[in-house]
Amino acid sequence: MISIKQVGKWYGSFHVLADCTTQVAKGEVVVVCGPSGSGKSTLIKCVNGLEPFQEGEIVVDGVSVGDPKTDLPKLRSKVGMVFQHFELFPHMSVMQNLTLAQIKVLRRTPEAAADKGLKLLERVGLGAHKDKFPGQLSGGQQQRVAIARALCMDPIAMLFDEPTSALDPEMINEVLDVMVALAKDGMTMMVVTHEMGFARRVAHRVIFMDGGRIVEDAKKDEFFGTPRSERAQQFLSKILQH
Amino acid sequence: MLAGFDFDVIQRSYPYLFEQGMTFTLTLTALAMVGGVVFGTALAMMRLSSFVPLATLAGSYVNLMRSVPLVLVIFWFYFLVPWIGGWLLGAGNTIQVGAFHSAVITFTMFEAAYYCEIMRAGIQSIPRGQVWSAYALGLNYWQAMARVVLPQAFRNMLPVLLTQTIILFQDTSLVYVISATDFFGAAVKVANRDYRLIEMYSFVAVVYFVISYSLSALVRRFQERIAVIR
Amino acid sequence: MNYHWRWNIFFQGSTNPGESWLDYLLAGLGWTIASALCAWAIALALGALVGTLRTTPHRWLARACAAYVEIFRNIPLLVQMFLWFFVLPELLPENLGDAVKQMPPPWASFVPAVLCLGIYTSVRVAEQVRAGIQSLPRGQTLAGTALGLTRAQTYRHVILPMTFRIILPPLTSEFLNCIKNSSVALTIGLLELTGRARAMQEFTFQVFEAFTAATVIYLLTNLVIVLGMRSLERAVRVPGFIGSPQAGGH
Repeated sequence: MISIKQVGKWYGSFHVLADCTTQVAKGEVVVVCGPSGSGKSTLIKCVNGLEPFQEGEIVVDGVSVGDPKTDLPKLRSKVGMVFQHFELFPHMSVMQNLTLAQIKVLRRTPEAAADKGLKLLERVGLGAHKDKFPGQLSGGQQQRVAIARALCMDPIAMLFDEPTSALDPEMINEVLDVMVALAKDGMTMMVVTHEMGFARRVAHRVIFMDGGRIVEDAKKDEFFGTPRSERAQQFLSKILQH
Repeated sequence: MLAGFDFDVIQRSYPYLFEQGMTFTLTLTALAMVGGVVFGTALAMMRLSSFVPLATLAGSYVNLMRSVPLVLVIFWFYFLVPWIGGWLLGAGNTIQVGAFHSAVITFTMFEAAYYCEIMRAGIQSIPRGQVWSAYALGLNYWQAMARVVLPQAFRNMLPVLLTQTIILFQDTSLVYVISATDFFGAAVKVANRDYRLIEMYSFVAVVYFVISYSLSALVRRFQERIAVIR
Repeated sequence: MNYHWRWNIFFQGSTNPGESWLDYLLAGLGWTIASALCAWAIALALGALVGTLRTTPHRWLARACAAYVEIFRNIPLLVQMFLWFFVLPELLPENLGDAVKQMPPPWASFVPAVLCLGIYTSVRVAEQVRAGIQSLPRGQTLAGTALGLTRAQTYRHVILPMTFRIILPPLTSEFLNCIKNSSVALTIGLLELTGRARAMQEFTFQVFEAFTAATVIYLLTNLVIVLGMRSLERAVRVPGFIGSPQAGGH
């Protein structure tokens, strides 16, 4: 489904990503972890073309992301993305947030879009809030709406960029529960996160990045059991304290 | 001093001052505001685009307009527009453009530079994440600008845009230099005709003060109500 | 296009004997700068005073200053010019009024223009100074007072020096505005640059040459001032202080 081959990226002279190679199969849940500055957010933004890359190749569902002839908006409409700071559009109501892209990109009728939006809103447990504005919702609620917004586009894969890092501790679980349910439904997911509990529950594979490189790429049990690299071991021991 | 103050001349010239003069002033202000904001927003988008020649062109235009006195710009357009009009219409010479139309073009083009800087600050203050999430949903550049960025930028900068419009309202008095009959110009005509300089100029000052001060107070109160809750 | 370009017009004699048109325009630049500098001196002195007073706890003083600012800010500059030139002499006591009216040109235009522009600009300077003072952390005043300084001393030695460094970039913009606004004085007879460009256009019919020259001269003057202010900023910069935002370009 998602294939990343020898991807390299520079910001000016700063080498952000180096020789990154991995893949995510249909229905797989892959967790990407690593210290700050390891390039994990950058890598995931390269997958749907939000960040350009200079070397290597990324192919999503048969479409090459780096190819200048690719219709990026069309590709992005098939891949959902959830951001650390939720990024709901504050000047629009929840329902408008959910239906905007359905109407403008997928050309659905407003009624069909509203139907879909409401259904997904209920799926994340927020059906009653459809006419509220993002500023009136808590962080956890906003993030769940953001997930619903991405799901409204019927994506073939979902990308998550540190979805719970900006949330107060009490709200992290309500969002993780939605993500776990999504994984159990068979969604292909690539998740950048520090939440190792989530990884242990639903991930198939775990990728560890450091300094722009993929240092460790193993099946979940192997990764948590006996990680091969010393760096991954250090990292794990630090974050698994709590 | 105040013994000879002739209130009568003010009263007598009310129709002329307001129906002719103030109408001119307010119409010019309104047209220049709308045109200026539209053109200014376009300039802001050009300045922020990654296509360097376009950004440089827009940047140079804005810097030029902001470096030169408005009086000079008024003269420029007053003489330039007839020539450009003639060239566009293939007339070979100048066409007739009245003071009003010249003024509308002048003020639109001039204020656009100022509105541009306001909108540019507004657009840049929208967090990048908003743009990313719009793109991530599959919206293209124009859809993202029109539906997500510009509505928020405009709403955030509305008080500053309105304050700039109040400045524009005051600046329109400078059409005096091309002998246009705006509110001030009308007052000058009456003052010279009836030899009542003190009365007319004081009256004009008071009217401008009342209008500008009230509008500024309104903007200040308005400011609290429309802030977009983040 | 039937326009005759004559760029050598600048070297031909103007209406002033012995002066070429270029000399004529440059003399206008002289008047522009002279009026702007004199007005700026007034604006700085008055503006700093008014801006500072607005931040003191003396309520009536602060309110008077606020009124001053509102009055001169809500009347267009052109209207103010006319008031200073036409109305003020009539309102003064007889002797003073007559003396003013008998001032020979160009002083008859220069003096009211400078006073008007000075007061108009002082209002804008006052607002900058006020904003600058209010942007300083409250702790600065408290520290001064804790050391035993009186309020006046705290302002003089602690608040105002930092304030002026902070507001140097916006003050530069205000000075440039002052130069541009001096052009409004052409309506009361001051023969500064724009007025002379207009006179040249009227006399020679070389519209575009005249106004292009004026535009170029304004642009160059702008450039010189901006570069000058940048070196001033560098000269007075406080090492390690990141507070003042860098004004990127204009």
